[in-house]
Amino acid sequence: MAIHIYSGKNNIESKLNDSIVQSIPFRIHADCDAPVSQFFQPYVKLEENLLKGSFRGYPLKGKKLDIPGGYVGVVLHESIRPNNEKDERKFYVINKFNEVVYWNWDKTPSKNDSFIQALDWIDIAEALHSPITEE
Amino acid sequence: MSENGHGTTVIGSLKDLQSFIRERDNWQNIFYMTPISDLCKEYPCILGIDEAGRGPVLGPMVYGTAFIPINEQTLLETLECADSKALTEEKRDVIFEKICENHNKLGWGVEIIAPNTICNSMLSRSKYSLNQVSMDAAIGLIKAALAQNVKIEHVYVDTVGKPEKYQQYLKTIFPNLKITVAKKADSTYPVVSAAKGIEVSEFGSGYPGDPITKKFLSNHCEPVFGYPQLVRFSWSTASTLLKDIAYHIECEEDDGEKTPPATQNNSITAFFKMTNKGGTKAKTRHIFFKQRHLSRNVEF
Repeated sequence: MAIHIYSGKNNIESKLNDSIVQSIPFRIHADCDAPVSQFFQPYVKLEENLLKGSFRGYPLKGKKLDIPGGYVGVVLHESIRPNNEKDERKFYVINKFNEVVYWNWDKTPSKNDSFIQALDWIDIAEALHSPITEE
Repeated sequence: MSENGHGTTVIGSLKDLQSFIRERDNWQNIFYMTPISDLCKEYPCILGIDEAGRGPVLGPMVYGTAFIPINEQTLLETLECADSKALTEEKRDVIFEKICENHNKLGWGVEIIAPNTICNSMLSRSKYSLNQVSMDAAIGLIKAALAQNVKIEHVYVDTVGKPEKYQQYLKTIFPNLKITVAKKADSTYPVVSAAKGIEVSEFGSGYPGDPITKKFLSNHCEPVFGYPQLVRFSWSTASTLLKDIAYHIECEEDDGEKTPPATQNNSITAFFKMTNKGGTKAKTRHIFFKQRHLSRNVEF
């Protein structure tokens, strides 16, 4: 199976909104727009370098994660998901972001969180795969 | 409203109090204590604490405190707040104005706990009960008065829960104070009724059974986020309504907390058994990826 990503280059370089992605520890059984700026963002507080928020009454503790330099976060949209596993899949870049706010339920985000750990790969990949230059 | 020497707001009337509250975000806690008169620093005082708004599904919980030197306590009777059961909103406003007029003798404070704080506490990892929230608010008020040198001798607290345990708990925190915790203390001790006179009811009823409240809840539901933050999500009225009209959500629990599978205890003889070493071994990725929950879902 192949994956195609469309309008990537154009959209990333264009003036697409630099939105902020909020990663919350909940599975919401829906796929739709959500009024984050009305119901979530206004209630976020910064206390002693820790972000505090709330979702449906649950207390959240968050940390801003910057996307490493040279990288950009993109939001992909798939209009039709093929029924067949082997079919090609098409994704479109619909937005980009440079930071993610990572939230835990009532627990300070740390190196123990897999989401934060996963970002280690970016540095390691750089070391492993960047071309060797002879000095 | 006026500013005192320290640049903090001084509330001298009901109007001041109303604008003080309106100026603040109603999703955050509010704490206020009057400047302390010399009389309250010099003479032993009684301090009363009362709670309002434990039941409603909307709006904050309010803790009021009033303190007065023991030798001035007859003043409390002139406030006519002793029979607090019959306190109407208008009557309460009159009492509050009287309390403000007597600021040289009678001090007061208020703590407003925002609805979001209440449900965040109840839905935290280490379940922080409503009783504990309530006790901590009372302790906070006593500590604030002590910190400003109010010469507290006796504390009277109204409670809806078990008075004995609560009284014992306060006693361990304030061993030097006399403490009385009682049910309906507001009708027994005038200083508690005075504290009641301080609480301000902002939202009509807000009680779960109230049809207007129910209508508000169903009209203000947002399918992803639920309700605006003046609603106490942890109340069953709110959560059952959400089940019907909002998207279902699940809290992602940590995978890391699962117990690792027990290591297999192979028998010693298993060592000598023939294994298919020549066979193809499934290629596994390095532990680095596994630990970081990185997996390859699709081939690009």
